[in-house]
Amino acid sequence: MVFVQALSSISHQNSFQKDSIWTELTTLEANSECESPDYKQYIPANALRRLSPVLRMALAAAQDCQSKVDGEFDAISVGTALGCLKDTEKFLTTFLTTNADTLSPTAFIQSTHNTIGGQISLALGNHAYNMTHTQNSVSFEVALIDALLCAKDGKSNVLVGAADEAIDFLEGLRGEIIQSDRQFTSGASFFVLGPQEKSVKVIDCDIEYGTQSIHQSIDQFLAKNNASINQIDLVLFAENIDLNAKKSLNYQDYTGLYYSSSAFAFHIGHDFLKSTNSSKVFIVNNQSDKRLGLTLIEKHEA
Amino acid sequence: MELFVTGYGAISCIGNNVQEILHALKSEKTGIQKGKQAHSEKYLVGEVLLSNEELMRKFALKTTGSRTGILGAIAAKEAFQGHKLDASIRTAVISGTSVGGMDVSEKEYRNHIDNVPQNLHNYAHHSSGNSSEQIAEELGITGFINTISTACSSAANAIMMGARMIQQGKIDRAIVGGTDGLSAFTINGFKSLMIFDEEWCRPFDESRKGLNLGEGAGFIVLESKESMQKSGSNSIARLRGWSNASDAYHQTASSPEGHGATLSMKEALTIAGMKANEIDYINAHGTATPNNDLSESQAIINVFGNNIPPFSSTKAYTGHTLAASGGIEAVIAILAIQNGCLFPNLNHRNVIEETKLEPIKSLKEGAEINAVLSNSFGFGGNNSTIIISK
Repeated sequence: MVFVQALSSISHQNSFQKDSIWTELTTLEANSECESPDYKQYIPANALRRLSPVLRMALAAAQDCQSKVDGEFDAISVGTALGCLKDTEKFLTTFLTTNADTLSPTAFIQSTHNTIGGQISLALGNHAYNMTHTQNSVSFEVALIDALLCAKDGKSNVLVGAADEAIDFLEGLRGEIIQSDRQFTSGASFFVLGPQEKSVKVIDCDIEYGTQSIHQSIDQFLAKNNASINQIDLVLFAENIDLNAKKSLNYQDYTGLYYSSSAFAFHIGHDFLKSTNSSKVFIVNNQSDKRLGLTLIEKHEA
Repeated sequence: MELFVTGYGAISCIGNNVQEILHALKSEKTGIQKGKQAHSEKYLVGEVLLSNEELMRKFALKTTGSRTGILGAIAAKEAFQGHKLDASIRTAVISGTSVGGMDVSEKEYRNHIDNVPQNLHNYAHHSSGNSSEQIAEELGITGFINTISTACSSAANAIMMGARMIQQGKIDRAIVGGTDGLSAFTINGFKSLMIFDEEWCRPFDESRKGLNLGEGAGFIVLESKESMQKSGSNSIARLRGWSNASDAYHQTASSPEGHGATLSMKEALTIAGMKANEIDYINAHGTATPNNDLSESQAIINVFGNNIPPFSSTKAYTGHTLAASGGIEAVIAILAIQNGCLFPNLNHRNVIEETKLEPIKSLKEGAEINAVLSNSFGFGGNNSTIIISK
């Protein structure tokens, strides 16, 4: 069995280093901002200056996770939907407007998706397996699936998480290729998975591209895990879906819009199980109608 | 659990399919030449000399999108040819890419900067994840579609992810590899890093100055024995070992002692249950940058000691195809095994002073090659190794 050993989120909620975010969640108000911790505690000042928000958030959350567990991570699996957008846009703008012979490489170097995982390995001096997954709205789920493979392969201290950042440019795509009317937001959520018994265990995670019937996919997933929808205490979903669960919440009310926000839903679900007398949380990531992410976590009674 | 390779496909500047690539490799003929596009004309690059529209037509593609997706769909289609979709064989597509649909976005973003009307729908191809979905759509595959983006080790990591998914019973069959279309973004990026060679690149040569970029895609089909029994596919090779390790030295440079690369090669041998002396050929990462080749040479010495198997980098043929390289080179590894060929490291004259390793200098045919080790290293100190055998 795989248990959540530690977790850390930086988000538009007051979530960093909170014992439980469940009781403190508030639905986002207009123009909410990311609640950044004091990054200087995690990142040297000279490095901090050149790090984009997504790198700062991920580095701080990952190091916060490391401080909560014994031993180095023996695998690192990161999900990001759109990667390091700020540095990507910066490098695009620079090379399209200036002479190619005088380009600074910093933005290019920091634009690749795996800068997040690479910077974590550098900051921690970690030589383990280091993977970066990117699959649109199910980017966190594919990273989680990889982390579960690692855990089943015998790794005992697996860091898994997801991070994405908003840039102003996205606003211009609204109504064109982005239909949601939610505020674009940023967030990073990281978790440590391992075999040591803790209050929450990860049962299963699946993704599906080209979903025909979301209800059928959900039924199959739950049946495979010997569960049914009426046993679920809390469903966390991204877009309205008619499920007969005891309690349901739209997690995007708390995260705003970014495409790996189901990682924060995982954090919500974890803290819900920890803080209440409930046994099962089911995360239905139906943020996109083409891609489905399904994650089941349960309370573990010692 | 044994993992079988039951298909392969590739496209690069040395050929539009596996047979053309084999022919070029045996002819010792590079595909690197002066660029033909506005963004590449100042450089020596390994371009596929067909436009997106020409590629779509020639390969009868149904789906359009980024050049990355188009090249990927072509190679994946070749790899999957002769395979059938079957609801009882859970089939995944796992593809590596570094910049996804950047080739489309950067053209549109130029309009944004110039303040002229944009077709915002072109940004729909931007996300790296979309290039894999484009490939899956082309093959008619749904279900587990995943993209790995670890820069130049992406395809090797995608192969590894597929292997682990099959081993743990999450899927039965996987089309795995990588793809990258050449873009102004990457050309300017590597230019800013000042690691281009203005001449043909010279991997493992004392005078090497840097790399030539390339583009393309390479995919293989992995299956479990059970899947093969159902699909009726034939095995062309076996995937024996894989590993990924972090160098944790620098965001772009490799450690001088090749720490991460040593770890990944050793671990891949352990997973394969093989000894170093069972490797008959190493297809090196060998980008021809001063830093990579020295670090990789040191790592090869760390792992193989005094018994270094014949090795070469084939990047002087194809250019550095970034996220696609591990896929194209996995195909080249299989070609080496199938044809008993040791492919040369073109343009090599003098060994690197510090390490004195001499790569294969000319084509050797009739070699008995049972096992090939292939390295792929990426930014962020991301080091990967796969081992393929008969």
